[in-house]
Amino acid sequence: MTLIAVLSISFGAIPGAVTRYYLTEFCKKYMGANFPYGTFIINFTGCLLMGFSFTLFQEIKDFPPQIDLFVRTGFLGSYTTFSTYGYDTLNLWRNGKQRATIFYWIGSAFLAVVGIILGSYFANFFIL
Amino acid sequence: MKNIFFRTVISISLGAIPGALGRYYITELAKSIFSQNLSYYGTFFINVSGCFMIALFYTLNEQKFKSLSPEIRLMITTGFCGAYTTFSTFGLETFSQIDQGNTTIALIYWLSSIVLGMLGVQLGVILGSLNSTSNYSDFLVNKPGFLISRKDAKPQSKKGRE
Repeated sequence: MTLIAVLSISFGAIPGAVTRYYLTEFCKKYMGANFPYGTFIINFTGCLLMGFSFTLFQEIKDFPPQIDLFVRTGFLGSYTTFSTYGYDTLNLWRNGKQRATIFYWIGSAFLAVVGIILGSYFANFFIL
Repeated sequence: MKNIFFRTVISISLGAIPGALGRYYITELAKSIFSQNLSYYGTFFINVSGCFMIALFYTLNEQKFKSLSPEIRLMITTGFCGAYTTFSTFGLETFSQIDQGNTTIALIYWLSSIVLGMLGVQLGVILGSLNSTSNYSDFLVNKPGFLISRKDAKPQSKKGRE
């Protein structure tokens, strides 16, 4: 089980982190570097998917734990990030954007919970 | 290797694997030390320490490790710190506390994560910029620099870089 757990998490973590990197770069290119749009979008969508998969997987009988580790701990855990969020908040503050800092700092954390609730709500449509 | 995409993917992956596994084992450790439903202790520690690490590394990177390759930077920041910390589990744990009726615990967890996360970042920046006047790359550029005072060494090192 342990080796399978390690492999499941690793195979999930790779696409998660790579998607985060390219999505951040894409947002920087097309939406500008004035605000961390990329990380903001990533953390919200990651929470939506987390709420969705958590509720869905719980309802399925005998759901394989490897897939749970692959999707939630591996992919979603590594797709979303707290460290970049913290560092981006500090950088916004250093650049003198007080309002954007407060919006990003509180807004991200607030939308995390909203995302979980929405994702969990959508999952109920798939549960018969 | 000329393929930038391949290099980027490999360096991020090499950081993301230990990051995600570290997160998993710390969460499991927290579950075994405290209890099954107190896994958020682990996530809390992970997020705060990850914030500290990324800020420390970025600050050292700006001021001291100027010769580090972009692949190593990606591996440590985007790969390791990014995969180690998590926002989705943080949201899920806050929500499950609300769901169980522990609104106070949810609020304390939510607020202390974002406040202590910022304190971690601040601490990383402060520790990273300690002693930044005597920086390592200046020493490399201007080797006799350590024999003269710092004030005299600075303009010389700028010339050296140009």
